[in-house]
Amino acid sequence: MVFAATSPLSAADYFIVVVYLVGTMALGVWIGRRIKTGSDFFLGGRRLPWWAIGMSLVATDIGGTDMIGVGGAAYKHGLSVSNFEWIGCVPAMIIGAFIFIPFFYRTGVVTVPEFLERRYNVSVRTVMASCWLIFMACNLGIMLLASAKMMSSVFGWNAIMCVWVTAILVGLYTCMGGLAAVVYTDMIQCTVMIVGCLCLLVIGLIKVGGIDAFNDRLAEANQERRAAVEAVESDSERNELTSLILPVDTPSPFPWTGIYFGLALILSPAYWIGNQAIVQRSLGARSEFDAKASYIWGALLKNIIPLIIAVPGLLAIVLLPDLDDGDLALPHLVGELLPAGLRGLFVAAFLAALMSSIDSYLNSAATLVSNDFYKRFYDNNVTDERLLTIGRLTTVGLVAWAILFALMLTRISESSGIYSVFQTLMAFFQGPALAVLGIGVLWKGATGRAAFISLILGIATAISLYALNQGTVLERLGWQPLFQISDPFLYFSIWAFLVTAISLVAISLIGGPDSQDKSQYVFGGAKGVEQ
Amino acid sequence: MTPLHWIGESLREVLGRVPLGIVRLLFVGTLVALLIWVLFLPKERTTPPGGAKRWDENLKFGAAVALLIQIAIYSLL
Repeated sequence: MVFAATSPLSAADYFIVVVYLVGTMALGVWIGRRIKTGSDFFLGGRRLPWWAIGMSLVATDIGGTDMIGVGGAAYKHGLSVSNFEWIGCVPAMIIGAFIFIPFFYRTGVVTVPEFLERRYNVSVRTVMASCWLIFMACNLGIMLLASAKMMSSVFGWNAIMCVWVTAILVGLYTCMGGLAAVVYTDMIQCTVMIVGCLCLLVIGLIKVGGIDAFNDRLAEANQERRAAVEAVESDSERNELTSLILPVDTPSPFPWTGIYFGLALILSPAYWIGNQAIVQRSLGARSEFDAKASYIWGALLKNIIPLIIAVPGLLAIVLLPDLDDGDLALPHLVGELLPAGLRGLFVAAFLAALMSSIDSYLNSAATLVSNDFYKRFYDNNVTDERLLTIGRLTTVGLVAWAILFALMLTRISESSGIYSVFQTLMAFFQGPALAVLGIGVLWKGATGRAAFISLILGIATAISLYALNQGTVLERLGWQPLFQISDPFLYFSIWAFLVTAISLVAISLIGGPDSQDKSQYVFGGAKGVEQ
Repeated sequence: MTPLHWIGESLREVLGRVPLGIVRLLFVGTLVALLIWVLFLPKERTTPPGGAKRWDENLKFGAAVALLIQIAIYSLL
């Protein structure tokens, strides 16, 4: 690649990267010495403080896919991609902090699917655990691919080698230190990531000539793009590159309807309240108050994230206007702007973002396999020490799978952005998951049988909509597309949520109540976990 | 045109008529409603078990700051 030739890493860059990697590994391995039981491995012995968890939440959510994908989406579609970090995170985190997280914490569960079994039945637990496991396993491969793409394009490193090295390094400390290692290394990674990206932002703004010049040049770029796309008719003075709220007929995948109804009301709460990788660390908090405080701290940090990962994509519009692939915006910007030394800091920041997400998904996927499958179906009386071994073995297996999947992905067409693939996977089951979880804790009339059927219906709806949006299927049916925007994953989640919610309520009302009393797992259900 | 297309077209047409100024009010109004809810939460749900010994131990403060930043962002951008 061009930048591999024009901006190779210097000795100072390599020094910074090596210091970061050695520091992270050492911390993870050192924490691993204290891990004696499954509870230590999966929940950090329930000794984790709020400040570490909060930073870990943010670091986990911002993966290598985000650093490349959000920057790339901002390059292609403008600031509206920041909705995913702002209204797509902050409100749900605050609601989670004061309502759902303390509720889960008091039940003493290890996983969200485990809560769903207590509230509904084992079938619902198994479906949700399977969905999350498939999602996490696929995501591991996608994240590794993102890292390979970045490192290959910027530094000319061998992509296959990058996949192997990243997976093995993260796998080692996650396998040894479990959730505690994940959370404390995430904390360091969050700091490195913010500092590294801030450097890129500040230098980029200086290069452009300051904030006012940046705004002016973005407005010019917007005019040029609008002139090129004649289809956009109304509101011609509007600068879509710097707007968060876009009209229904926007050419970008982020119209306000999808952002508000799909992201803010469905995908975001589903992610922050029902994602095992996210919720698990708050379940490992040293107190219920720490669990709540971690979410609030995370929400505060979330406010600055678009500045450091989306705005650089906008800088690339001004500085590198002719890129064919948006996902290359950030890598090329790094090669173009950062001097020796700082480039190493950015590489460390990228690795931090990548590793903080991979370690979390590795640990959470291992938790699901160990608790929701091995312990639940194979050996209900397994000792805590044996469960630790199972967790570590599963982690090793997942590392191997992640490498294999990433290598498979390199053979697939790159015409679709990484971020869209990631979001589409989540949209298949996040809407149904939120409907089942939310209605389950709000309404005691929701039954296990209804939850299982409606969950399947909702997932089938999302997958059907996805299939009906594929060119080959449309051609065979002779249909026009159902959705007018590109990558309509936000709309999949809305319809899947609605189908699940309506069928859950209807089947529950028709079928009559469950034989067992589950009211302690419903808000206001008198005894049990409710305060 | 299938029934699915008809539903989609109808919804798109109705929602497309909503002015973006009203949409902005919807976004900001949602955040303001959440802020009001947070401010009216009972202290037991926002402080440690023994009560807040310092002002920053009340989680209402952090949550309110996060939401106020969001309100400012969605009012301006």
